[in-house]
Amino acid sequence: MAEEKRGTVYLEGKLIGYVKSGKALAEEIRKNRRAGILSGEINVLYIKRLNEVHINADRGRARKPYIIVEGGKSRLTPELIERLKTKEVDFNYLIRHGVIEYLDADEEENAYAALNENEITNKTTHLEIDPASMLGLTMNISVFPEYNSIGRHPVTSNFLKQSQGLYSVNFNRRYDPRSFILYYPQMPIVNSLAYRALNMKMHPTGQNLIVATSTYYGYNMKDAIILNKAAVDRGLGRSVFYRSYTDEERRYPGSQQDHFRIPSPTTDGYLGEHAYAKLSEDGIVEGEMDLKEADVIVGKVSPPRFLEEQTGFGVGEEKNRDNSVTVRGGEEGVVDSVMLSETTGATRIAKIRTRSIKIPEVGDKFASRHGQKGVIALIVDQNDMPFTKDGIVPDLLLNPHSLPSRMTFGHMLETLGAKAGSLKATQFDGTPFGTHGKDCVDKYGKILEEYGFDKFGNETMYDGRTGRKFDAQVFTGVIYYQRLWHMVSLKLQVRSRGPVQILTRQPTEGRPRRGGLKFGEMERDALVGHGASLLLKERMLDQSDKAEIWVCNDCGDVGYYDYIKNTPVCQTCGGKSLEMVEISYAFKLLLDEVKSLHILPRIKMKSE
Amino acid sequence: MEKNEISKSKLVVPGEAVGTVAAQSIGEPSTQMILRSFHTAGIASVVTTKGLPRIIEIVDARKKPKFPTMQVYPEKKIADKYEKVREIWRKLEDVKVSNLISNFEEDFKSGSMMLNLDKEKLAFHEVTGRKIASELSKKEGITVDQDGDRIKVKVKKKENIKSMRTTFVHVLATSIIGIPGINKAMMLQGEDGTFHITTSGSNIEKVMEIEGVDKWHIYANDPFEVARNYGIEAARNVLANEINDTIKQEGLTVSFKHLALLADAMTYTGEIRSAGRHGIAGDKDSVFARAAYEETVKHFINAGLFGEKDMLKGVAENILIGKQIGLGTGKVKLAVRKTDMGKLKGSK
Repeated sequence: MAEEKRGTVYLEGKLIGYVKSGKALAEEIRKNRRAGILSGEINVLYIKRLNEVHINADRGRARKPYIIVEGGKSRLTPELIERLKTKEVDFNYLIRHGVIEYLDADEEENAYAALNENEITNKTTHLEIDPASMLGLTMNISVFPEYNSIGRHPVTSNFLKQSQGLYSVNFNRRYDPRSFILYYPQMPIVNSLAYRALNMKMHPTGQNLIVATSTYYGYNMKDAIILNKAAVDRGLGRSVFYRSYTDEERRYPGSQQDHFRIPSPTTDGYLGEHAYAKLSEDGIVEGEMDLKEADVIVGKVSPPRFLEEQTGFGVGEEKNRDNSVTVRGGEEGVVDSVMLSETTGATRIAKIRTRSIKIPEVGDKFASRHGQKGVIALIVDQNDMPFTKDGIVPDLLLNPHSLPSRMTFGHMLETLGAKAGSLKATQFDGTPFGTHGKDCVDKYGKILEEYGFDKFGNETMYDGRTGRKFDAQVFTGVIYYQRLWHMVSLKLQVRSRGPVQILTRQPTEGRPRRGGLKFGEMERDALVGHGASLLLKERMLDQSDKAEIWVCNDCGDVGYYDYIKNTPVCQTCGGKSLEMVEISYAFKLLLDEVKSLHILPRIKMKSE
Repeated sequence: MEKNEISKSKLVVPGEAVGTVAAQSIGEPSTQMILRSFHTAGIASVVTTKGLPRIIEIVDARKKPKFPTMQVYPEKKIADKYEKVREIWRKLEDVKVSNLISNFEEDFKSGSMMLNLDKEKLAFHEVTGRKIASELSKKEGITVDQDGDRIKVKVKKKENIKSMRTTFVHVLATSIIGIPGINKAMMLQGEDGTFHITTSGSNIEKVMEIEGVDKWHIYANDPFEVARNYGIEAARNVLANEINDTIKQEGLTVSFKHLALLADAMTYTGEIRSAGRHGIAGDKDSVFARAAYEETVKHFINAGLFGEKDMLKGVAENILIGKQIGLGTGKVKLAVRKTDMGKLKGSK
């Protein structure tokens, strides 16, 4: 049947018609696109199995450039490369002249791309511009990824995104909700093509540390690391933490609006005179003011949440409630900058940036560019650190056990390369798929030997505490380390007493609310399983929502204590004989809810 | 069961939370079990549900397991005689007409169908064409005509095609030999040289009637069927054994006593109850304990309608109201005789 053989044509997913040969149509579109007759933004896919042609020209398609290969020959000829070098032609020229084209996810299905020029066969349709272009931005910025285990690459990319450094040069004028700036950022000694091309040295993410692959009295077990105290004092990993607060004078229906001002003592929810002490007359903090937890940054009064009843003849001051912004729980700092502006809605807006210095401390997280993360477990005095025969004291001690199981050979290669680079005062290239491992080791080894070091980076080391020489040599070198923004000072949480929820009277949840940790169902079952009945009662009642209620002896309903008449009262039956019972407040709530189902739960008591 | 178990040297202390400990002991290893049930291809094995799905099946007390199986043991005196056991095996597997024919032809004009018997299949199951014809002729509404390897079935009253088709399908599904419900049976030889039979599909009632079968050694993985034929205590053993075997298959170990406790809890009323909303948890005395588990409002409304009392004896309700639970250290109370109170004060 001839009808079945005709090709179906879809434009941006919609059926627009039929052609005699779908393959011919696809080829013609490609030919015209390469010739510049059709827009270069058009992509076409031919599905042989279904004899369908899909043409896409809509926005939002991720596309990637490829060099076109025709008849087993790359269209990017040596002559063109020469002209590129002399800047006679540019990238856009190549696109216009059908040397390079962009493929989308659909058209890639029809392509057969070679990684390198020498891999081109007769079947090849395209050539990768660079083998590293199969990787994303973050992996292209990292070095030697091809020597690492595949599972480390996503970890590496994530760590790069979490690193502190110089994310923006105008950080001083920005009001990001939170940001970190490294005091002394450095550019890595071993870097990649993409790193240089993107001028990433303007946005460094870490520092080159001297790392010895050594244990230290068991303090760097698992993923713990040891830092040299002298190095920390010299500014290793030192950073500043900016936190911005925003507040706005919102307008409400009924010509009411918020006001920035120091609230008067009659305001609802007034925090007390001392809390507003750091505000200036306009209700906003002064610059360079020291701030402690729960200090008011912006004093703001808002109109009442609900419309109030009209009292008297409308005289008397309108009731207001305090709606001030305070420093977040567990944080402190100095007012770095205050900005007052206006929104598009013609309301005033205040932005306040606070700053605090974060010196590396026990519990802060560091990572190399190879997915090797670690948490500081100990900061050791320089004189107690191991040192090499030349008297070099490492900045960081990495446990050697973190290397074999993770198979991050790139980590070791970078250590060796950066060590050689720092000796020779040069940078080395670690572009993905741009190097040959053995050549690198040979090259670095030669340089190291030139400067009197072991060619494999091993060093004779002495224990800083005892002065004794270590039996084994220690692999030591320089490697780029990043400080990640997971820091204890922003996470530490503790509670012995604290706020409770209004509804249930149970302890609050979460760090900003000074909350406790949940004692859940499984934890409860563990105590039941142990038969620890009193400990269980203490957790579930005494340290939680213990309440004393009065229960009527006659009707069994909940009553209350009348402090004026000094007697308990039952509102249900009017009885005066009530008993005080200790129960969980949540149970009282449950009784109330059951009552809302028109069921009266009665409590019958028995003395024990 | 494990030998030299330390836990057997002592009785459990009064007030020990055996149920909670059993639940934790079963619950923890089952987190490591596969959720997906694999289906192994091949003819040489009897299919069973494995892993967590099987445990859920048992604990939920499903009326019929997804893959019922049976172990049939012959009487001792014939257990090592291949021919005798094979005789039993032959009577087990349910062979239908469709298993014995090579193909069939339907003729709706004359209202008849022609069954072409397969000689090899007949020989394998040791059935003759006459046997099939005689079995089919027991059916009402059709006439059967046997002619060597061909059997002609004709509908007595020709109605519409649909009813004819239904009749033909019934003809194909007619059981010739064997026991209904048993799809496949396999003879296996044990290490001691005796034979037994494993089946897929179960029907204890009928298998018991077969001569030569040891009536006291039939095992089925369906607790309900076992309960019907052997009583509730046998079903309790099936429940515990099935969970034990499933856990062992995964390479995990749970002390048998926890499983025995679970099985006991499921069966002590005399019938098998599931360990969920419609079983153990749903039959609790306490309104609060039931409401705390599932369908809160339903339980409270019913409690209100029928004026239920909660004596606050259980664990869940005491935690809810904030009282010391009656387990472990809460089980015991210190009692001093009134007359001895003076002595206590005096000693101060």
